Amino acid sequence: MNPERWQQVSHIFKSAISLDGEARAAYVAGQCGNDESLRAEVEKLIASHQRASEENFISGHAVDDAAELLLGDEARAHTTALNNGQQLGSYLILKKLGAGGMGEVYLARDSRLDRTVALKVLSPDVSADQRRMQRFRQEAKVASSLNQPNILTIYEFGEVKELTFLATEFIDGQTLREHLREKRLKLPEILDIAIQVLAALDAAHEASIVHRDIKPENVMIRRRDHVVKVLDFGLAKVTEKRPSVLVEHESDLEAATAFKTAPGIIMGTINYMSPEQAQAHAVDGRTDIWSTGVMIYEMVAGSMPFSGATSSHTIVQILEKDPVPLARVTREPIPGELERIVTKSIVKDPDERYQTAKDMLIDLRSLKKQLDLKAEIDRTSSPDVQRVVVGAADGPSKKRVLLIAIAAMVLVTAAIFAFNIWRSWRERAATSVVTSPSPPVAIDERTLTYWITVQKFRDGKAFGNAFPLAGEINFEADYRIRVHIRSSQPGYLYILNEGPTTSAAPEFNVVFPSETANNGSSFLPAGQVVQIPEKTWLQFDKQQGVEKLWLVFSEAAVPELEALKQFANRQTKGLITDVTQNKTVQYFLTNPSLSKPGAEKGETLTTVKAAGKLLVYAVKLEHH
Amino acid sequence: MKNPPRHQITELLAEWREGKQSALDELYPLVYDELHRLARRYMSRERKDHTLQTTALINEAYVRLVDQKNVNWANRSHFFAISAQIMRRILIDHARRHAYAKRGGGAQQVSLEEVAAITPEQGRELVRLDEALKSLAEQDPRRSQVVELRYFGGLNNEEIAVVLHVSENTVTRDWNMARAWLYQQLTENATP
Repeated sequence: MNPERWQQVSHIFKSAISLDGEARAAYVAGQCGNDESLRAEVEKLIASHQRASEENFISGHAVDDAAELLLGDEARAHTTALNNGQQLGSYLILKKLGAGGMGEVYLARDSRLDRTVALKVLSPDVSADQRRMQRFRQEAKVASSLNQPNILTIYEFGEVKELTFLATEFIDGQTLREHLREKRLKLPEILDIAIQVLAALDAAHEASIVHRDIKPENVMIRRRDHVVKVLDFGLAKVTEKRPSVLVEHESDLEAATAFKTAPGIIMGTINYMSPEQAQAHAVDGRTDIWSTGVMIYEMVAGSMPFSGATSSHTIVQILEKDPVPLARVTREPIPGELERIVTKSIVKDPDERYQTAKDMLIDLRSLKKQLDLKAEIDRTSSPDVQRVVVGAADGPSKKRVLLIAIAAMVLVTAAIFAFNIWRSWRERAATSVVTSPSPPVAIDERTLTYWITVQKFRDGKAFGNAFPLAGEINFEADYRIRVHIRSSQPGYLYILNEGPTTSAAPEFNVVFPSETANNGSSFLPAGQVVQIPEKTWLQFDKQQGVEKLWLVFSEAAVPELEALKQFANRQTKGLITDVTQNKTVQYFLTNPSLSKPGAEKGETLTTVKAAGKLLVYAVKLEHH
Repeated sequence: MKNPPRHQITELLAEWREGKQSALDELYPLVYDELHRLARRYMSRERKDHTLQTTALINEAYVRLVDQKNVNWANRSHFFAISAQIMRRILIDHARRHAYAKRGGGAQQVSLEEVAAITPEQGRELVRLDEALKSLAEQDPRRSQVVELRYFGGLNNEEIAVVLHVSENTVTRDWNMARAWLYQQLTENATP
C-alpha cells in the first residue's frame, strides 16, 4: 500500500469502527465513492478488526504467549546426551533418533533379548519431578499391559545411573503426519488407517485407558506391511506443560489458565483437541473419538476441520464452529456414510458423539465392506460393458442379457446404499431415545413453534396488509406466505417444500437454509425467531393441491440436508435437481422409525413436539 | 551476576530521554541481561503458579535496575519502552530458534519428541507476528510501536501515550488499526 492509500484507509477505518451497522456501511460507501478497491480494502480491515477483537488476538502479552517457549529452553538446557556405542544397562546405543523437551530418543540394541528397541531417555528435568515420575511410572505400567497389534508395545521402564528411560518396540516406518505430507491418501487407505486406530482405541478404552493425544504425529505406519501403531498411550497423561493432556483435578485450573494466557499463538496439537479438553473439563474415551474424527477429516479433506491462524482462532472454532461438510471440501465425491461417521465423531457435546470406539469401528468397517463390494461390482462389470461394445455383432439378444445383468448389479448397489442410509437413520433415531443418561431423566424432546403470515398480491404487487394465517386455509393463487419459526431449544432447522406433484420421482424444493438467509446457517439459537424468506415471499406455483412444508428441527446438524443449501438459489428456485438427493430427502422425511410429532394448534401459533433429538413435521397447505 | 550500579542506568535513561542515542546502546545490554534472567526465573519451576506477567517482570527489573530515589513517570515510561523492545527481541530470538530448529531423526519420529513443550508452530507464529510488525513499521512506525509497547512491553494505553507523546485516544485508534492489519496479515498468510 502506498502511503497516501494507507492514510486514506486508516482515516476511513478509524471513523467507521466507531459506527454501527447501516451507519457504518453508509459512511464507508460515502467516503469511498466509486473507488471499489478502496472500499474493499476498508471493509476487509473492518472485518479483521471485528474478528481480532472477538478472538482476543494479541490482547494478552507476548511473554504470556511465549511462556512455553522459555520453559522449553530451560528443560532443553539440561538434557543429557548419550553417545553411539555407549551402554545403558543392557542397552547398546546405536544412534540418536530424535529429541524433544522431555528427553531424547535413541535406537538401541537390547543385548539380553537381542532385539532392537527405541529407547526414550527422559531429561533429568523431567525425572527430577517426583510427582510427575510417579504418574509416569504408573502410566507406563498400565500402557504396557495393553496387548494389541495396533498399539506400540512398551518393553521396559527402567532407571540406570540416575537416567530414567523407556524401552519400546521400534517401528521402521513413518508417522501419519509424514505420510500425509508426502501424498494425498485414497479412501481405502484412509479407512484402513482409521479402522486400525480405532481398534487400538477400542482395546485401550476397554482397559479404561484414554489416550488423550490422538493426532497424526502419534500414529505410525510401518513401512513393510502398513500396519498402524498408535504411540504414546498413557504417557500423554503425565505431561504437565500441555493443556491438551491435563485432566487430573489439580491440573484443570492450570490448563484453563494456560489457555487464557495464550492468545495469538498456535500450539502444536491444539487442532485435535476436543471441546472438553479445550475447556479443561474431565475427559474420557469420547475425547479420543473426537480426535480420531478430526484426523479422518484431515486425511479426507487434506485440511483440518478446526484450524485458525492462532490458537485462539482454533479454540473458538473447536468450541463453536461446525466444520465445512466434507462433501464440500473434497474434489472427488465421498460416500455420504463417511460424512455421517465423521460428523458424528466430532459433535461438540460428547453425549451426542459416538459413545464408544467400538461403535465407530463397526460403522467404519461396514462402510469399508460396502465400498469393497462396490469396487468389486465395478471391477467385474466394466469388462462386460467393453464386451457389449466390441461384441455388438453377436446380436441383440446377448447384448440385452448383459445389460440386464449390469442393471441388476446397479440395483443391488443402490439397494445397499439405500439400506445403509435407512439403517443409519434408524440407529440415530433409536439411539436418541435409548442413550438418555438414566431412566428417571426425561426423554429427549424437540419442540418448535411456527406461524405463517399471508400477503395477498394483485398484478405482482402487494395488496392489503399481511395477516397471520389462522388454521390451514385454502390459498388463492396469488397468495404469498412467510413462515416464522421459533424454539426454546437451540437446533438446526431445515425446511423443504414438497409440491402436489403426481410424478413418481419425489421432488423437493429447499426453502431453508440458503447461502444467504440467516447468514447461510441452518443454526437457530434458542428463542430466536427466524423469518423465511427474510425479504421476499414464498409463492406457490400454478399446480393445485396440497403443498407440504416439511419442517426438520434437529439437535445436531444434519449433513445430508446441509448439503442441499447449494440448491437454494434464484435460478432453480430451490428445486433440488439431483435425483439421488431427492430420494435421500424422501427417505429421511418419511423414515418410519421417526417418532410421530404432535401438534398443538392455537389461533395463529402452532407448537410441534416430537420425542427424540429430531423433529420432522409437515405443514400442509392447500391451494387452488 | 552483579547488577550494574543503579545510578548508572538511571543516568543512561535520562540521557536517552534527552535524545542521546548512544545511551540506548549502553542501556540495551544491561537491561537485556536483567530481563532475560528474570524471564527465565519467572518461568522456571521454582515458581509454582507458572504465570508470568510482563508488567510484573519489567517492574521488577525496573525496581532492581533504576535508582528509586529519583523515580519519575517519564523515566519509568522510557524504561518500559526500551524493555518492550528488548522483550520482543528475547522472545523472537527464542521463537526463531524453535521455529527453525531441525527436527531430529528421519527414520522414526518418536512420540517423546512430540511431548516436547515447544512446538515449531508456536515459534513460527511469533516470528510471523514479528515480521508483520516490521512491515507495519515501514508503513507506519508509530502504530507498530504502539503494538510493541503494548504486546511486548505490557504497557497500558496511558503509559504508551506518555512514551509516544500523543493522546490516549490516538493510542487507542492506532492500536485498533494496527491490530486489524496484523490480524489480516497473519490470517491471509496463514500456513495450514
